[in-house]
Amino acid sequence: MSNTDVVAEVRAGTKRYPGVTALSDVDFTVRRGEVRALLGKNGAGKSTLIKVLSGAEHLDSGEAFVRGRPLAGLGTRDVAGLGVATVYQELSLVPDMTVAENLFLGAWPRSRGAIDLRRMRAEAREAMARIGVHLDVDSPVDSLGSAGQQLVEIARAVGQRPALLILDEPTSSLAAAEVRQVIDAVRHVAEQGVAVIYVSHRMDEIRQVADTATVVRDGRIVETLPVGTASTQEIVTMMLGTAPDALAPRARRPSAERPVLSARGLVSEKLHGLDLDVRPGEILGIAGVLGSGRTEALRALVGLDRPDAGEIRLRGEAVRPGAFAAMLRRGLGITPENRRRQGIVPLLGVDENIVISDLRRVSRSGVLDRRAVRRAAQTLIDRLAIKTARPGTPIGTLSGGNQQKAVLARWLHAGSDVLLLDEPTRGVDVEAKRQIYHQMRELADDGRAVVFVSSEVEELADICDRIVVLRGGRAVAELSGDEIELNRVLALAIAEE
Amino acid sequence: MSTTTPTGPPVASTPARAGGRLGRNTQRLNEIGLIGAIVVLFVVLAATAPGFLTVTNQLAILRDAATVGVVAWAMTLVIVAGEIDISIGPAVAFSSVLLAKASGEWQVPFALAVLLCLAVGLLLGAGAGFLRARWGIPSFVATLGLWSGLRGLAQYMTDGLPVPLEPNGFLDVLAGSIAGIPTPAIIMAVLFGVFLFVANRTAYGRSVFAVGGNAEAARLAGISVARIRVILFATTGLLAAVSGLLLAARLGSGNGGASVGLEFDVIAAVVIGGTSLAGGKGSLLGTLLGVAFITFIGNGLVLLGVNAFFQDVVRGVIIVGAVLINVLLSHRKGAP
Ligand SMILES: Nc1ncnc2c1ncn2[C@@H]1O[C@H](COP(=O)(O)OP(=O)(O)OP(=O)(O)O)[C@@H](O)[C@H]1O
Ligand SMILES: [Mg+2]
Repeated sequence: MSNTDVVAEVRAGTKRYPGVTALSDVDFTVRRGEVRALLGKNGAGKSTLIKVLSGAEHLDSGEAFVRGRPLAGLGTRDVAGLGVATVYQELSLVPDMTVAENLFLGAWPRSRGAIDLRRMRAEAREAMARIGVHLDVDSPVDSLGSAGQQLVEIARAVGQRPALLILDEPTSSLAAAEVRQVIDAVRHVAEQGVAVIYVSHRMDEIRQVADTATVVRDGRIVETLPVGTASTQEIVTMMLGTAPDALAPRARRPSAERPVLSARGLVSEKLHGLDLDVRPGEILGIAGVLGSGRTEALRALVGLDRPDAGEIRLRGEAVRPGAFAAMLRRGLGITPENRRRQGIVPLLGVDENIVISDLRRVSRSGVLDRRAVRRAAQTLIDRLAIKTARPGTPIGTLSGGNQQKAVLARWLHAGSDVLLLDEPTRGVDVEAKRQIYHQMRELADDGRAVVFVSSEVEELADICDRIVVLRGGRAVAELSGDEIELNRVLALAIAEE
Repeated sequence: MSTTTPTGPPVASTPARAGGRLGRNTQRLNEIGLIGAIVVLFVVLAATAPGFLTVTNQLAILRDAATVGVVAWAMTLVIVAGEIDISIGPAVAFSSVLLAKASGEWQVPFALAVLLCLAVGLLLGAGAGFLRARWGIPSFVATLGLWSGLRGLAQYMTDGLPVPLEPNGFLDVLAGSIAGIPTPAIIMAVLFGVFLFVANRTAYGRSVFAVGGNAEAARLAGISVARIRVILFATTGLLAAVSGLLLAARLGSGNGGASVGLEFDVIAAVVIGGTSLAGGKGSLLGTLLGVAFITFIGNGLVLLGVNAFFQDVVRGVIIVGAVLINVLLSHRKGAP
């Protein structure tokens, strides 16, 4: 391959943040038509490398180039002008605008000074079709849910016909079917000579999409290798620096206790007669495709939304639907699927973001006890291995996976009995995932109820005691104990009708 | 540089400065810049404005500072929460009128009249907060209603004329000094301490920051966002009433036309102090400096004999300039 093939390059790049070196002496190249996976633990420096290449951050030392142009002093717009399109880890759409408007944000097709709505809609439909997605381009993106929004972002980036397409965990909120679409779209653009950088924590997906993989650890590049020849075990070992522990044997013990939380006949916009029982002492998995009502089910259960009909009982007593505050007081907790918009308070420290769920526990008559805050936060930071320079570091500066762990830590702090976790492992690395599974298992063993929503059927099959499959807002199948088998769950989850 | 290994011990060894809170760091920078600006302003005024350095004038400055400062502390929290209260000037004037009317014409015992003023201020503020919290009416609009309504009511009740107050010991103390320091300044200082504590050390104060930083996340974490919002506006209402008492004591009357534009001095002081109108970040120390800055300018312009109309022009330019510098500084050194 000749040097003219090189689309982007970093030479001896180093980037520091207060208290951490996010990139240290990194050399990195990617060529035309290549799909390069970036692998590494949470906080390894993947997103930082990407931000450097998209012009969102600048190196402290070393150089970065896109198509031969040094990036020093260029902003994101300039770099986009060089042909770099980026889908960042955190969604960046304008929620109240329609899909079409978002697709052309800032570059709306115009005729005679006004926005040409007809052309915009047509081109939007075309851009969505290019990645094989059919969404109503006139609906506000707010109404789409994370997965739909993610697809819009990808369509937007692909639609710019870039020379370098950067995707930072594009599939973390998608289920199998949509992941397939994204992979196909990426392969398609790569065949047309586009260089792609693809970050993901899912190994199986990396194998399908990428040619080569670069493993990053603690801000350094460990190795770049062809994906086809390396075993998953080898790659994971490179990421972690040590061989991974074997996954703890699963104790599949569906609970026989009376349900702590149950729903009967819930009806709302996306729910159509949902029945569900949540029992103490077990991990209940909820599977289903995009739009099957998983998030809506959790929101209704915890009282964030008020269903149009149906009944919810907590410890046998009927509860007033929509009484969120009361449900929290009575021991429920929920981690939302959209971490940045609903999960974190970016400017507050990790410590405060954790204890926020129960400030009473760390204060005396309204006055915070600093030592208690520190102690409570530190305990959970250690327990979940949250990588942060200090407990007081603003959570917005943590890597995505670490933010996710802090949001989960919040409900461990509150000591909730019933935990509703909406995609808690989204964007979390292999090791951290295990830590989270481990926490869930401990909670269940402790007699608490854990409800686990995930788009990754594999992990549901791995750790749940019972799995309920939702389709069209109803529970259509239930597997428990030894009936749980990956292929069965997969088949049920993606089956149409 | 060391990075934390996931299972390792807390990074107590990280140098405290290096790991500093990003928000706080830019805040610091702001404050240092402001202190610099205030020192320059002070030196320039001392050199050019006749009588600036006299004790009488310095005490007058303290008294003027209190007019803005007493409410500015509460306003800081309102703005940190991503809200705004523009009803201050009329609320202050209304409270002074209410005191004069109640203790005079309506023959309410004086102590009760004072309590009445405070209670009404608190309730009006809470009302605006409730409109915001319960019905989602933007706080600008809710307090705009108060701004218009209270000014009108105060003028209507008095036919636009000052209502004299029967002098008494309490009013004398409010208008006077304690140990040589003007009483309003003492009240301002005490309230500053209270708010500093509330903002940084109480569950309520931190919840305010959380609501301003991400209201949806705060709600999902179980913070009662609505309650916080009501309390915020009840607090500004209460402190505007306190300011009204101080005003009445100083003028010896209730005055429906007083304190015109005070809300903007208060907001300007808060914003100059580095509190973001977008919410989520801010500091009382910054507001303290903002209050000092605004008061020095006001005092200096008078001493320099600048035309009264033109004073407003100068003030406008300086305020925007100060905020611009703030913003530029925090962009340079700051956030991602
Ligand atoms: N703006 C920032 N300020 C301070 N520290 C930061 C900032 N952005 C990133 N960091 C730190 O740099 C390190 C690398 O972060 P980065 O986001 O690149 O990780 P990542 O590999 O993308 O992780 P993840 O898989 O969790 O997304 C982390 O320790 C993170 O806390
Ligand atoms: Mg990342």
